[in-house]
Amino acid sequence: MMLQTAATAATAEAYIPGRARSEIARKAFLYAILLVVAAIFFVPFLWTLVTSFKTIPDSVNVTLIPHPWTTAAWHEIWTGYSFGTFFKNSIFLAVVVTACNIFLGGLGGYAFARLRFPGRELLFLLVLGTLMVPDQLRLIPVYVMLTNWHLIGNFSGYILINLVTATNLFFMRQYFLTIPRDFEEAAKLDGASYFKTFWRVMLPLALPAMSALVILQFQGTWNDFFWPLILFGQGNPSHYTIQLGLAELHFSYSTLWPQICAGSILAILPILVIFLVFQRYFISGIVSAGVKG
Amino acid sequence: MATTTASDAPLSRIRTSMLGARLREAGWGYAFALAPIAVFGLFFIYPFGYAIYISFFHWGILGKQPGGAGTFNYATVLHDPVFHTALKNVAEYTVGVVPLEMALGLSLALVVNQKIRGRNFFRSAFYFPSIASSVAITTIALYIFNSDGLFNRIIGSSTPWFTTASTVTWAIVGLNAWTTSGTVMLFYLAALQSIPTEVYEAAALDGTGAWRTFWRITFPLLKPAHFFVLVVFGIGALKVFDQQFIVSGGSGGPNYSTFTPILYVYNAAFQNFDFGVAAAAGVVYFVVIFVLTIIQRLTVGRQEIA
Repeated sequence: MMLQTAATAATAEAYIPGRARSEIARKAFLYAILLVVAAIFFVPFLWTLVTSFKTIPDSVNVTLIPHPWTTAAWHEIWTGYSFGTFFKNSIFLAVVVTACNIFLGGLGGYAFARLRFPGRELLFLLVLGTLMVPDQLRLIPVYVMLTNWHLIGNFSGYILINLVTATNLFFMRQYFLTIPRDFEEAAKLDGASYFKTFWRVMLPLALPAMSALVILQFQGTWNDFFWPLILFGQGNPSHYTIQLGLAELHFSYSTLWPQICAGSILAILPILVIFLVFQRYFISGIVSAGVKG
Repeated sequence: MATTTASDAPLSRIRTSMLGARLREAGWGYAFALAPIAVFGLFFIYPFGYAIYISFFHWGILGKQPGGAGTFNYATVLHDPVFHTALKNVAEYTVGVVPLEMALGLSLALVVNQKIRGRNFFRSAFYFPSIASSVAITTIALYIFNSDGLFNRIIGSSTPWFTTASTVTWAIVGLNAWTTSGTVMLFYLAALQSIPTEVYEAAALDGTGAWRTFWRITFPLLKPAHFFVLVVFGIGALKVFDQQFIVSGGSGGPNYSTFTPILYVYNAAFQNFDFGVAAAAGVVYFVVIFVLTIIQRLTVGRQEIA
């Protein structure tokens, strides 16, 4: 709808008499700029993809066609440098953390949006207060706590501290507030329990909000570098995520460009696939999360 | 009279059942909110206090060490030239990257807001680097801007841009402006689309040129968006870490040029194993960001961002 208004603005401008020629020149100029800018956005990825099929001596040549063409770098990182394991670790953490965030964020968001209980407003202030606590401040205490509980260097520690974020809970709460109460009243008359009302009625109604959160949370966890570095970086590489594995590969073998490029593509690929499929949710999610939060 | 007493019993029964319903609702409310509240309390609110506590002790990898409480960790941080350098680096970076992000983001938004073929494709293409992994993007940049990388081959130079002390800050500024401009574009795009069409129609009827229309009408009308981007991306820039860590291998080099305050906290903890100093640096930097946020809110942020 909003797009339409912008489009009308453009047409309104084009109707002015005597503007036709300058309009064509303007369009040509616009496309020229667009193509140059698009090239700046594409060339790095394309170049990385090309290099991942090159040999090491060939990786310093400015050629678009690998010579010889080889998939050696891909084989090498997947097995030799354990990127297969890292990839699985990242998928596992991203799926579990996203599922926990949706469930607990939804549950908490529903409670704060709809259920009346003493101290609700005060507790909600606490939820918003967590947004003020930055990672560099909680880094040391969280590390000390997890060390004491022997949860450093294993997945449960990472999952535990990422079970739910205030942003996700807030986002879900805001969405639940927009759903008319009639749906719950109907469920209540049918004798549905509070959990059943949440699970069977409210959560399905919040599907658009959930889709945006699933995508943003999955992407956030997949791309996370800071906490995996803190929690797994000192320990056994069998727990590395793909981002940590890629960083370590670069630190240890800074000239293995084909391997590093293959690793980089692998670290981006799942997000690219999700992005291509769910673009709509990415863009609406970013804008509404930003505007509201 | 008799009727009142007769109806009294059901009424009180209704009242008790309503009380029961109230209690049940409150019970479920607590039950639903319990897990999130526990997570926030345990891993956000409690660590906030715990960080302050740790910052007043000699604290190593094995825990609190003898020596009692004091402000010595704060003295160490505040007198450490490396911490000063880290603050200077992040200030330079922020002052460099935020205007560039705004300029690039706004330019892209203006372009993809036009009636052009493949508009959605270009939007997606410009946005994609924002969501790609920072580690991968940084390693790709290291490859392309390497001394014998693609960029130097094209311009005929051999400067390793990301590993030279004098260029690395600006190289990271350029890199991050490029990656985040897509997100900034989306915010500007939303703002551009909320400007009423009539405004442009009036300008067009007056024969105002496109350039003039932009500076006189569009740019001032985007004020809320400018403030929003300035505040959100300004704070974000102060927290930069991944790029400097990848570029320097965590060392903050060459010659401390990639040391940021967060890298300082990391290094104090995991290179020197001095958790007291790390916690103190975390607290100091929290205060710095907090004060800057308040100042921003009071000055530029006042206008309708919240």
